[in-house]
Amino acid sequence: MTTYILRRLLLIIPTLFGITLLTFLLVRLAPGNAALLKGGGGEGGGRAMTAEQRLATIKLYGLDKPPLVAYVDWVGRIARLDLGESWIDHRSVTAKIGERIGLTASIAGSALVLSYLIAIPLGVTAALRRGQGIDRVLTFILFLLYSIPNFAAALLLILFVAGGDYLNLLPMYGINSINASEMGTWGWIWDRILHMILPVVCLTYASLASISRYARVSMLEVLGQDFLRTARAKGLSERVVILRHALRNALIPLITIFTLELPVLIGGSVIIETIFSLPGMGQLMLQSLENRDNPTIMGITVLAALVTLGSYLIADILYVVVDPRMKYE
Amino acid sequence: MNSEPSPQPLVQVDHLKVYFPILGGILRRKIGEVKAVDDVSFTVNRGQTVGLVGESGSGKTTVGRAIIRLTEPTAGVISYEGKPISKLSAGAFRPYRKKIQVIFQDPYNSLNPRLSIFEIIGEALEIHFPQMSRADRRERVAGLLDKVGLKRDHLDRYPHEFSGGQRQRVGIARALAVNPEFIVCDEPVSALDVSVQAQIVNLLQDLQEELGLTYLFIAHDLAVVEHISDFVLVMNAGKIVEAATAEAIYANPQHEYTRKLLSAVPTL
Amino acid sequence: MSTNPPVITNETYAHRVARRFQADAFARNGLRMVIFLFILATLAPFLANSHALIRVTDGQTSFPIFLSLDPIEWRFLIYVPLGGVVYLLRRRLLTHWRIALCLVVAVIALVEIVLAYSHPINDPTNDRDRAASFKLLPPIPYSPIETTRDQFAPPSWKHPCGTDSTGRDIAARMLHGARTSLSIGFVSQSIALFIGIVLGGLAGYYRGWTDIAVCRFIEIMDCFPSLLLILVIIGIFESQNNMFVIMAVIGFTSWTGVARLVRAEFLRLSVQPFTLAAQAIGATDLRVILRHLLPNSLGPILVVGTFGVASAILIESSLSFLGFGMQAPTPSWGDILNESRRYIDFAWWLAFFPGLAILITIMSYNFVGEGLRDAVDPRLRLK
Repeated sequence: MTTYILRRLLLIIPTLFGITLLTFLLVRLAPGNAALLKGGGGEGGGRAMTAEQRLATIKLYGLDKPPLVAYVDWVGRIARLDLGESWIDHRSVTAKIGERIGLTASIAGSALVLSYLIAIPLGVTAALRRGQGIDRVLTFILFLLYSIPNFAAALLLILFVAGGDYLNLLPMYGINSINASEMGTWGWIWDRILHMILPVVCLTYASLASISRYARVSMLEVLGQDFLRTARAKGLSERVVILRHALRNALIPLITIFTLELPVLIGGSVIIETIFSLPGMGQLMLQSLENRDNPTIMGITVLAALVTLGSYLIADILYVVVDPRMKYE
Repeated sequence: MNSEPSPQPLVQVDHLKVYFPILGGILRRKIGEVKAVDDVSFTVNRGQTVGLVGESGSGKTTVGRAIIRLTEPTAGVISYEGKPISKLSAGAFRPYRKKIQVIFQDPYNSLNPRLSIFEIIGEALEIHFPQMSRADRRERVAGLLDKVGLKRDHLDRYPHEFSGGQRQRVGIARALAVNPEFIVCDEPVSALDVSVQAQIVNLLQDLQEELGLTYLFIAHDLAVVEHISDFVLVMNAGKIVEAATAEAIYANPQHEYTRKLLSAVPTL
Repeated sequence: MSTNPPVITNETYAHRVARRFQADAFARNGLRMVIFLFILATLAPFLANSHALIRVTDGQTSFPIFLSLDPIEWRFLIYVPLGGVVYLLRRRLLTHWRIALCLVVAVIALVEIVLAYSHPINDPTNDRDRAASFKLLPPIPYSPIETTRDQFAPPSWKHPCGTDSTGRDIAARMLHGARTSLSIGFVSQSIALFIGIVLGGLAGYYRGWTDIAVCRFIEIMDCFPSLLLILVIIGIFESQNNMFVIMAVIGFTSWTGVARLVRAEFLRLSVQPFTLAAQAIGATDLRVILRHLLPNSLGPILVVGTFGVASAILIESSLSFLGFGMQAPTPSWGDILNESRRYIDFAWWLAFFPGLAILITIMSYNFVGEGLRDAVDPRLRLK
């Protein structure tokens, strides 16, 4: 097992290299940067730049150096978490991301936890009543949820429950009401929760649908295996058989599913944070794209890729730790 | 062996070794090797059938695959008509693909399910006789079907429409398409019903007489081999443990492993 | 190695798949819906157009729609006869000719879509108000880019899905938007399939270092959340508004699933005796791959391709929604939703209808994909 884990860790090196190389190439090839180097017009992606900014950008991406040297510099800077300076407000990209990452992580994190919590009972129920009415209805509903684009769902939810022409139950935008500071601690917390409900719901339902489909298949697979028959033959009650033996084995493969959901959640947060005006990383990403703020764009992209890579790693290691049957190929 | 061995054997295998690496450790280095074939030498004379017998895992299939170049030998030389062929490049080996053919064990997975019988058998003709017209090819394939006991109207059928024995006949026709001299029969009857086994073995014998073929006949069953072979090699754990004429092996097995194999054979 | 059950049957593989597929009600209806959407998209210029189908003025009969059709508008109409040709020839062609034909169709689709981008579709004439002794208007007598004074009209008989802030008819925009969605879905998936088959095929067939390199490349690509990567490429290269670029970017970022699958299939198939037999008769690598491995992996490839079309359509509408999609007058479902954000407190139809269209499309493709997967490989289905 240790060999497997060490080997897995070793395999990150080429991947890390690839991720940094890919982002580096994107930056190098960006048309705005080529124009910068020539100095003509001082175009920074369609935006006028001061001479000072231009120099800073050239320095950041090593545009004046040979590609190899520039690449090594770039990797070194990422390793020190120095992602450069925003073209818009001259603040360090690391700081800009730092103040926004918490919100995004907490929304995406709650969505992930919630989807697991709801998905597993749903999937297991469907598996236990395979082929019956409830299984078919659940399958259809989950399919429906899975196919609703999150931006359409967000818009319709706002329209129908958040201050459109219909119900006005929940706040429409932002992370807190304007007068939140006058509400006292509990009032503030309650206000924040109300603001978070819709974004979390919008990020949850699709993950929920796909996780419960995996849960159903995984449970069905376990239910078809021999050891359950043995357990029944030993005279254990159906309840014990399902809960103690089947469920535990069915849940193991689900550990790794979150790696599939993470990139979806990161992409989804760009859309959801934009719709609900939440000051998270996703919204920063879109603003930077609109303002052609390349250092911030690249910073967020590298970070997202590293987080995803980390999740693959955690999933792979968790898998061998939890499931002793796993072959260390 | 016969009292007067022919001056030049058709196939000669000299100190053949095929090792498969075992990878392990963090860097997937080679930490050991499986000696699938460990220093095997034998010859096959023109027109003869040599039986190669052993349990599964004894390395007999690997020997066959090394001869038809589906596996790279680790060491040793394989010669065909006196010329070493085991080190040839894929391109240089190509002419020998016409002379050396193979029949596989599994009649279900040895025919591509997406191709018609004509396409399966005709493929070798497409490759080696690209100038042949489609009509000529169909004629030739129909002739081959006839030779192996199938009908002309089977041409445009698909493998799933045939029984195991019929599929094996298709496999034989495919091997015969290029007029080979030497055929590696890799357990050609092991997957078939006993009644069908005899039919296929008889077919192979008839074809041998008619076309002057040379066989390396691989099997795990001494009974089948005795029936068809002039000479028998017994393999165990990558080595040849006994080599003698079919009669001698039966009458007077020398090696303990051979006796063990013999005792497992139901007398027919 | 899997051993097939020794069953003799008169049913070909394709028939068996078709029969299993037909038995699944979700899949059957999903396919009907997919075909229906294709028909709608193909006929969009005849269903929603400001020109009349037939007009008789002063005793002279004319067909204004046909005259007004741009060569570009014919692009969807090509698919119908092309599909018919493929269907008619399906049994007469050898496997590799069939594959070649599919490639040709894909290339034609690509080329005509390259031609399709950035053409001005501003034609102010309309036949609604024009006097004529006889005229037959399309069911929706508005063209997708035509502005009227009827702004923010809620759904009515005149505008079944309402109008937007500049009085454009939403139903007309959605019909033409279906063309955008479907062509982006199909072309970007063709690109993804091509890359995925080539890379996955090389990895699975040659193994060794090729395999290690391809697997690392797949992992690297998978580390970037696809929506983010696509936004970055489009944003940094300032290349939005160009249908072909969007197709290419979606295609170049969504091939990893195909590559994984093709690799696994090729790993499995390349040790099958029929592959070894082909190698033993001297077939070249290319021949083994094209004739033996690829045709035997087509079923699973079709499955990922179908799911891929669904996700490409979703990505395209997300891009348009975020304002990084097609140029403004080109109708797109995501674009209508984008506009609806500003008027969400009253103009519910701006969000509802395109949202529903995306939902139905994606769900249909997913149903078809699911049904195909069960039909292609019954082992995957847990009965």
